Amino acid sequence: MKLASAALLILFASSALAQPRPLLPRASDGKPDLSGVWQALTTANYDIQDHSARLGVPAGQGIVEGNELPYQPWARAKKEENFRNRATLDHEEKCFLLGVPRTMYAPFPFQIVQSPAYIAVFSEYQHTTRSIFMNSEHPEGPIEWFMGDSRGRWEGDTLVVDVRHFTDQTWFDRAGNFHSTDLHVVERYTMETPDHIRYEATLEDPKVFTRPWTIAFTLYRRKEPNVRILEYECYQYAQEQQSRGGP
Amino acid sequence: MATASRGFACALACLLAAGTLLAGQEGGGGRPARIAGCPSPSREFYPCAKPKAEAFNPPRNADGTPNMNGAWNPVTANGSQNIEDYQGDAFLNKQISLIIDPPDGKVPYLPQYANKRQDNWDHYIDPIGACWLAGVPRQVYAPRGIAIVQGSKVFSFVGEFAHEYRIIPTDNSPHIGDSIRLFMGDSRGHWEGNTLVVDTTNLTERTWLSISGHFHSDALHVTERFTLVDADTILYETTLTDPKVYRQPWTMAMPIVRFEKGHEVWEEPCIESDHDLPDLLREHKLWLGLDPPK
Repeated sequence: MKLASAALLILFASSALAQPRPLLPRASDGKPDLSGVWQALTTANYDIQDHSARLGVPAGQGIVEGNELPYQPWARAKKEENFRNRATLDHEEKCFLLGVPRTMYAPFPFQIVQSPAYIAVFSEYQHTTRSIFMNSEHPEGPIEWFMGDSRGRWEGDTLVVDVRHFTDQTWFDRAGNFHSTDLHVVERYTMETPDHIRYEATLEDPKVFTRPWTIAFTLYRRKEPNVRILEYECYQYAQEQQSRGGP
Repeated sequence: MATASRGFACALACLLAAGTLLAGQEGGGGRPARIAGCPSPSREFYPCAKPKAEAFNPPRNADGTPNMNGAWNPVTANGSQNIEDYQGDAFLNKQISLIIDPPDGKVPYLPQYANKRQDNWDHYIDPIGACWLAGVPRQVYAPRGIAIVQGSKVFSFVGEFAHEYRIIPTDNSPHIGDSIRLFMGDSRGHWEGNTLVVDTTNLTERTWLSISGHFHSDALHVTERFTLVDADTILYETTLTDPKVYRQPWTMAMPIVRFEKGHEVWEEPCIESDHDLPDLLREHKLWLGLDPPK
């Protein structure tokens, strides 16, 4: 009896250990195939930290590990000022590109097109394009790009993307969380099932923060038949409305 | 190779400069005289390159499709300044027509629109000068060039100009519902031998075909064909059908050549840079189509 239960325990333990990861789709080069239409379901575009609901803003649990952002004192004051002036200062109001990582949790779907040397990310928001060049070096700076310069590599089954050369014109959310041109983002995309990607990013910016900090959330595959990226050309809609003299 | 200083405003003046920058150094009108062993002007290039493209066995991707991955330059299109023959003036470069059919190299407008292009040039802002999307087929021959990224059952274009893109499923999926209208339309592709054939519907009437004011309506239907002539040259053909505006379907053809090895298509902001649209709007109107809703 004792022997039998021990055997059962071993059997159970080994089956738990041997639990195979769900079979992932693979690209021709053997890497996980991240191709498809994906979308985050967080409220991080409103505020990347925990927040209660307010008019027009759903409550949400943040995506920041430990919830607090390690601002330098001057930067914390600046963030609070940004929050007070968020209706006009957030460049999302002007339909500008949202930057990285915000594009990945903005409330719009994006499509990944994957080839061995070049992974493209296309968001529905204002035709945002990200080019992830694989196994290559950042160009020499200083360069200020809204989406930064993305260089990718595979670490096992995880896509790791190093992003540098940012403007200081983008915020992380509508709540005024911000960065400088020294922002450096390292993203990790790990496919957990064919329909889920765990997204993690480490952010450092020695001009604004006292230490690196991390965010994490899940990307969900859009499963609707014939789903595709449409267009949200907010700048054009605003121009058109203005040219007609109002809504 | 792009430079960091390129993030300037992209209104008319800079688009004109872009056309000049893009064009090659040799030959009349700033284009290479010969491409892939053929004369570069469209009406001579097409009959010369077509049989070469049909005979060429292209390099292939792992899935067997012809490998067109990389950065490409529509070198004879002058950044989409014009698509018909043009002698050149203070504003627009000399252009040899990109139109191979009809043989006169002119857009076959219905009689009531014979003077509309000139009216557009005189009174309206080129939509891409307002940072609106270039549309189809213009994205292919717009300023700066494009990158092609081929994924599994999908073909995509990354345009450097204003970070435009186009995603073309090649999985036999159907077009989206007709009431959804998109600047870049709904493109579906399939391979006919070594040629990618793309069918695009669901377009708006908000886009033009050139800086010079060539136009279409929301009835536009575009068919495109991409075929490698050699490893570094694509023969691009596009047929436009729009019975509201044109007497007959008409076709452009042109070579698209690889940028030098190592060229990367980078981010060029448009609305995000110092945009001079308010200045443009003092003398010109936004193009909302032939019959915009009131």
